[in-house]
Amino acid sequence: MNNAQLRKFFDKIKEDRVVFGPAIQDGKTIIKKIDDFRDLKLDGRLPIFSFKRFFLPEKESLFEYVGVNLSKPSERKTQKIALFGVNARDLKSILIYDQVFEKDPWYQERRENILVIGQMSATSEGKWEKIEEDLFEHLSFDIFLARFAPALDGLSPGESTRDSEPKRARISGDNDLTVFSGSVLGREVLENSGYNDFIHIQFSGPVKEKGIDKRMLRIKEKLEKQHDQAIWDRLGARCIECGKCSIVCPTCFCFRIDDQAELGRGRAERDDRSDNQGTRNRCWDSCFYQEFSELSGGHKFLNTTAKKIHFWYFHKFVRIPEEFDMVGCVGCGRCAEVCPVGIDIKEVLKEIEES
Amino acid sequence: MRNSYQTIPAVITKISPQTDNIKLFRFEFEKKSFKISGDDFIFRPGQFLILSLPGWGEAPFAPCNRLGEELELCVRSVGRLTRKLHSLKIGDKVGLRGPYGNGWPLNDLSQIANSKSSEKKNLLIIVGGLGLIPLRTLILGKKEFLGKDAKIQIFYGAKHPSEMLFSSEYKDWRKNGVDLQLTIDASCPEWRGCVGLVTKLFDAAKVVENARAFVCGPPVMYKSVIEKLKEKKFEEEDIYLSFERRMHCGIGVCQHCGVGNFYTCKHGPVFEYGLIKNTLGAI
Ligand SMILES: Cc1cc2nc3c(=O)[nH]c(=O)nc-3n(C[C@H](O)[C@H](O)[C@H](O)COP(=O)(O)OP(=O)(O)OC[C@H]3O[C@@H](n4cnc5c(N)ncnc54)[C@H](O)[C@@H]3O)c2cc1C
Ligand code: SF4
Ligand code: SF4
Ligand code: FES
Repeated sequence: MNNAQLRKFFDKIKEDRVVFGPAIQDGKTIIKKIDDFRDLKLDGRLPIFSFKRFFLPEKESLFEYVGVNLSKPSERKTQKIALFGVNARDLKSILIYDQVFEKDPWYQERRENILVIGQMSATSEGKWEKIEEDLFEHLSFDIFLARFAPALDGLSPGESTRDSEPKRARISGDNDLTVFSGSVLGREVLENSGYNDFIHIQFSGPVKEKGIDKRMLRIKEKLEKQHDQAIWDRLGARCIECGKCSIVCPTCFCFRIDDQAELGRGRAERDDRSDNQGTRNRCWDSCFYQEFSELSGGHKFLNTTAKKIHFWYFHKFVRIPEEFDMVGCVGCGRCAEVCPVGIDIKEVLKEIEES
Repeated sequence: MRNSYQTIPAVITKISPQTDNIKLFRFEFEKKSFKISGDDFIFRPGQFLILSLPGWGEAPFAPCNRLGEELELCVRSVGRLTRKLHSLKIGDKVGLRGPYGNGWPLNDLSQIANSKSSEKKNLLIIVGGLGLIPLRTLILGKKEFLGKDAKIQIFYGAKHPSEMLFSSEYKDWRKNGVDLQLTIDASCPEWRGCVGLVTKLFDAAKVVENARAFVCGPPVMYKSVIEKLKEKKFEEEDIYLSFERRMHCGIGVCQHCGVGNFYTCKHGPVFEYGLIKNTLGAI
């Protein structure tokens, strides 16, 4: 797919979906609503925030209540959107959401309205581990645009590509995108836009044939069986519990459920069925926050910083793998980038591995 | 698609004060076609449900009795939701969802009892404070859940005699063959029984033999009780602990109740001791 075709494809999608994708602002890659095709930057760089909030918004109302009765929120909007240019790491986190929120009606409703268009630019990957050749079959996307040619421009901010080498151009010409479809929807969207030169990839589940990554298994085992308190004490002494890492991490999805009484209704104009009305909301939470494990009476199970960080790692590297055979970290490095005290997950994992 | 967070309206049919700040509530579902005795809301002893009062939130509680189409919750007033619940009257409504969690391991217990083998068919219940609540269904339904030959011994510790739950029922329990041993934390004029923490009862009474131990109480209680149980030669696989953790979802998603590899709401609240003894932060 060349640039002109890409543009046509983009415009076609924009006809019935609001499009969000990576763009550059102040030299940084961010995700924003794309109105003008020229704003879209498909260079494979990781945006500062992930695509998490499109799948799991910071706050959503689950129910409206009147008295004790809960009903579906009336103004719930199910806008059709397209995420245009989701990098491979963020695609991996979608796999995790899909599993964790499999039985969640609000998630499912939102998910059905999201068209996922993945992207990969060979040189911008490989920050931690190289993106495997068989990656495609284990990612869930509707459409995937791959640029196998050498990169167009430099490195992502704060990101090193030392250990990655440009992959040789394959399949298509220099700067052209190779197009894959990964779902019926993807196929239809492509065909509707008049583009037919794509390869269909059959999604074969989130788990690779050879199972979960060996190194990750080792880390899981270490965490479970060879707890080294010194690692956590050192981290506990550094971390200031700001919770930034859990906000940027695409695989942090803890939440709390809160009720919010309806404001602004005086006694006179109130619905006379009941004077107790409002919404029940689900909001992002973080295991770094004080109340996270608190019982009434004040007892906290996570009562030290060390315990909180340990809990965070356990979720990603033990509980998620245990439940879904996937690692609960996609290796994006965002947590390290935002950490004000410089805690780098890559180094922590190495420490755990060597403990 | 089924919505796990949807609650079912239930009506308060009876309120019996237990102590200064604890009340026993009886509920029936508003919609009569919704059956507790059928498959709609069947719960096993030790499971919990989530009670909702929109505007005041939700919280987990362990049902403590099943009476035909009614169920009972015993609730201490400690915060936002529970204070509101305590202000309600007969005829007022709440929302309920659940039941959640695994409950006490009873299937094989009643099987053992029926198989006439002498193995571990008895039950030692060690509870402190509110910990008695999730065991009451079991105590009241002794015959149904454990078989008629099983013995139940209860070690129950409370701060003060006035804080003892279900005290009006003790006579009936004892008549029913339950060996109920009580203790209070500190001596007071109106108490002539054992004084000291619940572990003291291990020395004050003869511990029932061939028993499994079910333990539930405040977080500080577990370590010392387990020590005592080991002293009395209880095997790890015969010790079961019910945990209390903060909960929001009840279905293993929100992470609030995570303990090591497990979610208290989903894999618990009852854990076999052997399974979690090495789990950091569990006990
Ligand atoms: C499995 C289980 C069974 C329980 N059974 C009973 C019972 O039978 N009777 C009884 O009186 N209490 C029981 N509790 C404790 C009861 O859930 C808390 O007392 C209740 O949540 C307090 O809510 P609140 O809004 O009044 O308190 P607040 O202190 O105002 O609570 C504020 C917030 O903290 C959460 N929270 C506080 N304490 C707990 C807690 N212990 N567990 C979960 N969330 C909490 C609430 O959900 C709420 O979101 C049980 C707890 C668990 C985990
Ligand atoms: S690298 Fe950090 S931010 Fe990225 S998925 Fe892993 S834990 Fe989350
Ligand atoms: S970003 Fe760093 S300091 Fe802040 S909570 Fe995370 S690890 Fe701790
Ligand atoms: S209460 Fe949400 S995970 Fe257990």
